[in-house]
Amino acid sequence: MLDKNITEIKESFYTDIKSVSSIKDVEELRIKYFSRNGLVSQLFEDLKDVVKEEKPILGKKLNLLRNEVSAYFEEVKERISSSNSNKENEIDLTLPGKNYIVGSKHILTQTLDEIKSIFKGLGFSVANGPELESDYYNFESLNFPADHPARDMQDTFFVSKEFLLRTHTTPVQIRLMEKQAPPVRAIMPGRVYRNEAVSARSYCMFHQVDGIYVDTDVTFAELKGTLVSFAKQFYGSDLKYRFRPSFFPFTEPSAEMDITCYLCHGKGCKICKNSGWLEILGCGMVDPNVFKFVNYDSEKYTGYAFGMGIERIALLKYGITDIRIFFDNDLRFLKQF
Amino acid sequence: MKISLSWIKEFVDLSRISTEEIVSQLTMSGLEVEDVVDQTNLYKNFIVGFVKETEKHPNADKLTICKVFDGKDDLQVICGASNVKAGQKIVFAPIGTEIPNGNFVIKKAKIRGVESNGMICAEDELLLSDDHSGIMVLDEKFEAGKPITEALNLNDVILEIAITPNRPDALSHIGVARDLAALFDRDLIIPELKLNETNDDINKLASVVIEDIVNCPRYIAKVVKDVQIIESPKWLKDRLEKIGLRPRNNIVDITNLVLHECGQPLHAFDLDKLNGHKIVVKSTKSEIVFTTLDSKERKLPLNTLMICDGKREVAIAGVMGGENSEITETTKNILIESAYFHPSSIRKTSKTLGLSTDASYRFERGTDPNITKYAAERCAQLVAELAEGKIANGIIDVYPNVINPKEIELRFSRTTKILGYEVAPDKIKNILSRLGLAIKVLDEDKLLVSVPTFRPDIEREIDLIEEIARINGYDNIPTVSKINITLEKKTDETEFDEKIRQTATALGFFEMINNPLQTENDAKLTGNPIRIANPLSADMECLRTSLISGALITISKNIRQGVKDLKFFEIGDSFKRICDGEIKSFSDFTETQNLLLVISGKEVVKGWNIEEKESDFYLLKGLIDSFLSKISLDNVLIDSYYSTANEIYAYHLTKSFKEVELGRGGKLKNEVLKQFDINQDVYCFEFNLTVLKSVQSSTKTYTDPLKYPKIIRDFAFILDKSVKYLDVKEFIKKKSSPLLKVVSVFDVFESDSLGTDRKSLAFTLEYYDESRTLTEDEVEKDFNNLIALVTKEFNAQLRGK
Repeated sequence: MLDKNITEIKESFYTDIKSVSSIKDVEELRIKYFSRNGLVSQLFEDLKDVVKEEKPILGKKLNLLRNEVSAYFEEVKERISSSNSNKENEIDLTLPGKNYIVGSKHILTQTLDEIKSIFKGLGFSVANGPELESDYYNFESLNFPADHPARDMQDTFFVSKEFLLRTHTTPVQIRLMEKQAPPVRAIMPGRVYRNEAVSARSYCMFHQVDGIYVDTDVTFAELKGTLVSFAKQFYGSDLKYRFRPSFFPFTEPSAEMDITCYLCHGKGCKICKNSGWLEILGCGMVDPNVFKFVNYDSEKYTGYAFGMGIERIALLKYGITDIRIFFDNDLRFLKQF
Repeated sequence: MKISLSWIKEFVDLSRISTEEIVSQLTMSGLEVEDVVDQTNLYKNFIVGFVKETEKHPNADKLTICKVFDGKDDLQVICGASNVKAGQKIVFAPIGTEIPNGNFVIKKAKIRGVESNGMICAEDELLLSDDHSGIMVLDEKFEAGKPITEALNLNDVILEIAITPNRPDALSHIGVARDLAALFDRDLIIPELKLNETNDDINKLASVVIEDIVNCPRYIAKVVKDVQIIESPKWLKDRLEKIGLRPRNNIVDITNLVLHECGQPLHAFDLDKLNGHKIVVKSTKSEIVFTTLDSKERKLPLNTLMICDGKREVAIAGVMGGENSEITETTKNILIESAYFHPSSIRKTSKTLGLSTDASYRFERGTDPNITKYAAERCAQLVAELAEGKIANGIIDVYPNVINPKEIELRFSRTTKILGYEVAPDKIKNILSRLGLAIKVLDEDKLLVSVPTFRPDIEREIDLIEEIARINGYDNIPTVSKINITLEKKTDETEFDEKIRQTATALGFFEMINNPLQTENDAKLTGNPIRIANPLSADMECLRTSLISGALITISKNIRQGVKDLKFFEIGDSFKRICDGEIKSFSDFTETQNLLLVISGKEVVKGWNIEEKESDFYLLKGLIDSFLSKISLDNVLIDSYYSTANEIYAYHLTKSFKEVELGRGGKLKNEVLKQFDINQDVYCFEFNLTVLKSVQSSTKTYTDPLKYPKIIRDFAFILDKSVKYLDVKEFIKKKSSPLLKVVSVFDVFESDSLGTDRKSLAFTLEYYDESRTLTEDEVEKDFNNLIALVTKEFNAQLRGK
C-alpha cells in the first residue's frame, strides 16, 4: 500500500512541478508536499503503521524519495525565484525622472552678487539707503548747487519740492559718513530713477552700485588699483583699461573708466560706437565740499568714490539688447539664469 | 559741440600731430571726442564731373540718362534729379564710392533697363546740408576729374566733443585750442584786433543802464553804422555749416562765428528800433508776454532778466532776442551787445521757458566777464569787413564791480597726497601756465596761482590738482598693486535679503523686479500712494504701496504668453503717504522693504507617474512656514486667520511677532484679479522685511537628537464640520501629559456617511521623553484620557469603535 503510494506521490510531484512557474506556485507545491501535513510528511506518518519487517526497506525508499524530490524542488525553486526576481527589476530606465523646479534669482541680482563678492573681498562693507530721498542727500550735500547745470545730468522725478526719487545711490555715501567717522569703506547697491524716455537703451528705473573709501592717505593711485582689480576679477584678467577725466560734482578729480570693447576687442563696432572702448564706471576723489557737509576734515582725510550701473554691465555681459526685458519678468527669460 | 580742426589750427600750431593723436589726447584730458568726421577720408572718392549730354530715359519719365565726363572717360549715368542739365559741373560718385548719408556703396547697376555707372550727388547725400531738392551744381571753373576734397575745400576734420558742465571755457574753438596748447606744450595764438573807428562818439549814439547789477554784472555795447545786410561770404558760411549752423545773414553769422570762436554770446540789435537808442537791463516786475525773434509768444514770469530800450522789452537777457528789434534786410545801424549775465539767473529763465539756446547754454554754465570787450570788438571788426559798416568811436562798458582773477595757493605736497605720485614742480608750473593761469612761486612747496575769469570751475586747490592730473594724463598716475584692509568689523546690510533670496529660490520661486512706478489705480489698491509731480506718463504716476499690483501685472503678462504655472517672489521698497499735504520730511511717508511670495496655476504639472495638482491656500501656507523655519522664525510667530474678505483678499492669514504684524497673505479676490485681467486663482503673502529683519535672530542653538524611542498613537474623531482643526489640536496639547510632544493631523475626511455636517479628523500623537524610555502603560493611560476628553468637549465620536 505504502509502496504504491510512494510511487504515486512521486509521479504526481513530477507532474505538478512541471506546471510550476511562479513563486506562488512554488509555495503551493511546498505546502502540498513538504509542509507538516503535506503528502511527503504523510508518507512518513504512514510508515508507523507498516509491519515491522517492511519498515527498513520502505523507510529507505521513503528517504530516497524525500531526498530526490526535495532536491529537485529546491532546484526548481531556485530557478523560479531567480528568474522571477529578474522580472521585478525590469524597468524602463529611459522614462524621465520626477521634475523638480528650483527657482532663481533675477539676473540683475546675480550680477550684483558677483560685484558684491569682489568688493567684499577687497574689504568693503555693504550699505543700504532709501529710494525716496530728500534734495539735500541726493543733490545739495553732493555738491550740486541749486540752479546748477550739473543737475541736468540727472533728470529727476520729484514728489514734492524737497523730495524726489534718488537719481543715484551716491546719497548713501553721505548717510554713511554722517553715521561714522573714517575709515569708511563700503559699497552701496540700490535702485535709482531717471526721468528719461523709456527705450531699448534706457529705462526710467535701474540699479547702481556706489562705493566709497575714506581714510588718511587714500590716493587716486589706490582708486585706480582697486578698480582695476575689480574689473579684472569681473571681466577677465587680460582686460585693457583706461581712466579718462570726467566731471561729477561730488568728486574732484573725476574720471570714467573704460575697458576694451568685449565684442570687437578694441577694433571699433556698433556697441562701442567705433571707439573700441566701453565705459563701465565713473569715479574720482571725494570732493572736499562733500567732506564739509559731513564734517570730515579734508586736510586730514582723503577718499575715493565710484559708481556703476548694473543693467549696463548685465546687458554687455549676456549680450542682451533691450533693457526693458529685465523688468518684463517673463518667466521664460528669468528661467534662463 | 562740433569743432572744426582747421579752425582750431588758427589758434594753436598742431603741425606734425596726427588727427588720431589729437582725438586721443582730447579724450584723455576730459574733452571726450564722441565722433570724428574726417572729410578727406569721407569724400576721398568723389570727383568733379562734367555733364556732357542728357537724354530722357526711355522707360521712366523722371529719370535722365547723362553722359558724364570724369576727366578720363565718358560714362553713362542715370540721374533722378530734375535740375540736371548738360553743361553742368557736378559732384560725381564713381563706382565703388561709399555714400556718407546712407552707408551704401555705388555699384554698376541697371536702372529700368539702362546701365548706370555712378551717381550724381545732392547735398544731403554728402551730409553737407539737408537739401535734397536737386543735385549739387558746382562752379564751372572746376576741372572735371578733380577730387572734391580739393575743389570744395572738404579737407577738414570735424570733432563732436562732449563738454562736461564744469567746462564752459571749452565751449569754443579758442577754449579747446587752449587745452590742446597745454597738452602738446605749444603756444596759444589769439589774433590781435585792429579796429578802424570813425569819429562818431558812441556815447552820442547810444546809452546803457544796468538796473539789476546782480544778474548783469557787465554790459558792453559797440555800435556799427551803415551796415549792408547781405549773405555772408563763402568762407564764413562754410565755417558755420561745418559745425552744424545754418547761415542767415552776415551780421547774425558774424555773431555766431565770434560765439564759437571765443565762447562769448553776442546779440545784434537794430539800433534804430531801440527807443531812445537806449539799453536798460532790468528784471520784469510782473508777468509779461514777449515775442522772441523766432516769432513765438512767450509768457515770462516775474523777475525775468530782460534787455529793454527806452520804452519796452527788446530781448530776454542771455536767452533770445525779440522780434521787435531784430536785424532785417533794411537794418542800417546796429548795436552789438556783449554782456556777462549771472549763470543761475539765465538758467532759471531758460528752465522756466523750456528754451535752451547756444547763448543760454553758455551763460548758465558761466561765461568769462572779461572776454566781453574782446568779443564785441572782434564782432565790430568783422562787421566792418564783411558788411561795410563803420565802427563808431569807443565802447560803452558798464562794469561797476570788476571781477578779478581768483588767487589760489597750490601745494606740491598736496598734489602728491591726492594723486599718489609726484608731478615735478616744473611740469606743474608749465601745465598751469599753458592753461592760461598765472603763477607765482611762494616757497619750495607752494605756488600762488591766479585763475583767469574764463575758468569759473577752478575755485580751490583741489581744482588745480585736477588740472595737473588731467593734462599730465591719468595714464601717468600709477595703479597700486596692494591695498591696506582695515581689520574692523565689516557689515553687510544686504545679508538678510540674500538669505531670503536663497530660501525663496530653494522653494522654487523665481525672482522678479517690477517697476515701482505704476498707475494711480494700481497703487491705490493697497494704500495711500505718493504721486510723482512730473511723471513720464500716466501709467507711471504713482509709487507702489505694496508689491502686489506689480506682481499681478507680471502674472497677467505671463498668462498672456501662455505661461500659467507661476511662482514668483520680489524684494523691493513700497511707499505710503501718511500726511495730507506736500511731503516735507521723512515723517510724511513710509518706505518699507517688502517681500512678496506669490503663486498661481498648477503646483504640479501632470507627469507620467505623477498627478496634477493646483496651487492652493495650503500650498501657500506651507511654503510660508517652510520659509520661516529656514530663517528660524517658525516657532515664535502668531498666526491669525480671517475667513471673511477684505479689500484685496477673499480670505487671509497674518503673522505677528508679539503685537507687531510681520506680514499677511491669502487668496486674492476675483474682483481684484479681474482688474488685472487674470482669470485663475492667485495666492500671495507679503512680508514687511524691515520689521522681519529686526525680529529675526541670527543665533542658532543645538539640541541633541532624541536618544529614546517614541511611542506613536493614532486616533480619528467624527465631529461637526464647524470645529476647527487648530482648536482640537490646542485642546489635546493642553489636556495631555507633558510626554505628548507632537500632535499632527494626517487625514481630513468629509462624507454624508459620517452624518450631516460632520467630518472626520485623524491625528497622530508622538510621545517621548528626552531622558528615558516610556512605558506603554503611561502612554495608554494618557491616550485613553484624551479620547474621553475630546469626545466630550467637541461632541465627537471616536472612529473605528
